[in-house]
Amino acid sequence: MRPDFPMPDPDWEPTREFWAGAARRELRIPRCNHCGRLRWYPTEMCRFCQGEELTWETMSGRATLFSWVVVTHAFLPQFREKVPFIPALVSLDEDPAVRLSTELVDVSPDQLAFGQPVEVTFRGLQFAGVEGSLLAPFFAPSSSC
Amino acid sequence: MPDPDWGRREELDDVAGAVAVVGVGESAHTKASGRTTKAIVAEAVERALEDAGLRPTDVDGLMYVPMPDQFDADAFHEHFGTDHSLWVSRQGGGMTGAAVAPAYAARALRTGQAHHIINTFGVAWATQRSSMVGGPGEAHVNEGFKQNLEVPFGWFPQPVYFATIARRHMHEFGTTEADLGAIAVACRRHANLTPGAVMRDKMLSLEQYLASSPIVAPFRKEDCCLISDGGAAYVMTTPERARDLRRPVVEVAGVGLGTSITGVHWAQQAAFTSTPQVFAAPAAFAMADIDSNDVDVYTCYDPFTIVTLMQIEDSGFCPKGEGGGFASSGALNFDSGILPTNTHGGLLSHAYVLGIAHVVEVVRQLRGEAAAQVPGATVGVYGGYTGPQAATLVLRAA
Repeated sequence: MRPDFPMPDPDWEPTREFWAGAARRELRIPRCNHCGRLRWYPTEMCRFCQGEELTWETMSGRATLFSWVVVTHAFLPQFREKVPFIPALVSLDEDPAVRLSTELVDVSPDQLAFGQPVEVTFRGLQFAGVEGSLLAPFFAPSSSC
Repeated sequence: MPDPDWGRREELDDVAGAVAVVGVGESAHTKASGRTTKAIVAEAVERALEDAGLRPTDVDGLMYVPMPDQFDADAFHEHFGTDHSLWVSRQGGGMTGAAVAPAYAARALRTGQAHHIINTFGVAWATQRSSMVGGPGEAHVNEGFKQNLEVPFGWFPQPVYFATIARRHMHEFGTTEADLGAIAVACRRHANLTPGAVMRDKMLSLEQYLASSPIVAPFRKEDCCLISDGGAAYVMTTPERARDLRRPVVEVAGVGLGTSITGVHWAQQAAFTSTPQVFAAPAAFAMADIDSNDVDVYTCYDPFTIVTLMQIEDSGFCPKGEGGGFASSGALNFDSGILPTNTHGGLLSHAYVLGIAHVVEVVRQLRGEAAAQVPGATVGVYGGYTGPQAATLVLRAA
């Protein structure tokens, strides 16, 4: 386990562009050069066509709420100060089969509904007792609704 | 309906009638015991051999799974003071391995590489929990995509994954928290009847379940499995040799194995509220020449209530989406249900030995010697699950 767990490693090659994009407040997701589908997660080989090359693109940041939980019991000490919080999966508008793992912000659990529009908001990711902070793609209910 | 491209059935040899389970044993199941995994498994192996009426030197095949501290050939010889040759396979152990081990054992029995094969599994995760080393979350923390794309957002560990699946299942099919509670309560009642179950002395009513607070809504603590120290083992041989041994013969009738192409990346599985039992169970039932109505007793790998519910659906015991109502109807009860399920209490209330004790329980049911005995059970099924894979084992009283 990394010493700065649960922070991501922005230098890990397969997700380097995702975190570099987040630092610029861009949501970056790769597309398979062979079959043209978004490849998430950005594995070495496309699970649909086995192609290897991919090209990173900037997404709109719009998505819909696929499912979520409300954590009231922190399983790990690094998350204790966040409780309660709402880890969620959101389906990208560009391809709903792509589900981003994220945390919902600026909303209370009783305001959530399946399929509701959400949009990306870049916030500092930090944890109690862990050094450092990174900009990360959180999601909040779309401002248009 | 699930995208047919989200997983596949794996090819396995037809082993119907080629293997018998002739001995079963469990260690003590406890909270933190301070014991090593190997010492725990050794206790289970001794009891399985005693049950079978075999000596350590009769065992010439050993199966386990490549996880830390498992009972390998060195551990076997060190414990029993033996030095004979052992056929070894690491395609056994708990989880899906507890279901498919007979498929691989059959080859060794057929070729004469081994005559009596013991499959074992154990964990000391209650003892290790305080250090967060070797526990159920560790493998997920160390997987790159999870570490870098899921963990930072708190989508971790397993209770979070499966509560997310449960909420989606509720949305798609109208499953309720009380439906999940019915599974927890049935398992607890079975554990209350089972000597050695960790939760034997702790009652749980549906009212108590519903009155408790969520920890990862929609999950309550009772939706989640125990963490305990324990192990189990079962001995396999040919049905011919089994008839010369002391216990009633239980034959392997079918096995099946299914794989999800998204592996441990649950978040991306197209059929989010399904398990690869969709692929595994029909294959095992076909090999056994049965259908789901023929099953008298069912055990399944149940890290969370929703995983039991999904496997019941995906194995065809009820239509997809109707698992909630099925559970709430009392179907899982050992004495009155149409599908007595996890009759020892499962991972939820018996012990967290990752499925191998589920196989032990099916064998005991088919011998007629279980604590919460299903009257006249002759066909029993174990559903194993890891997330990326699911497996089904059909056993039959010979």
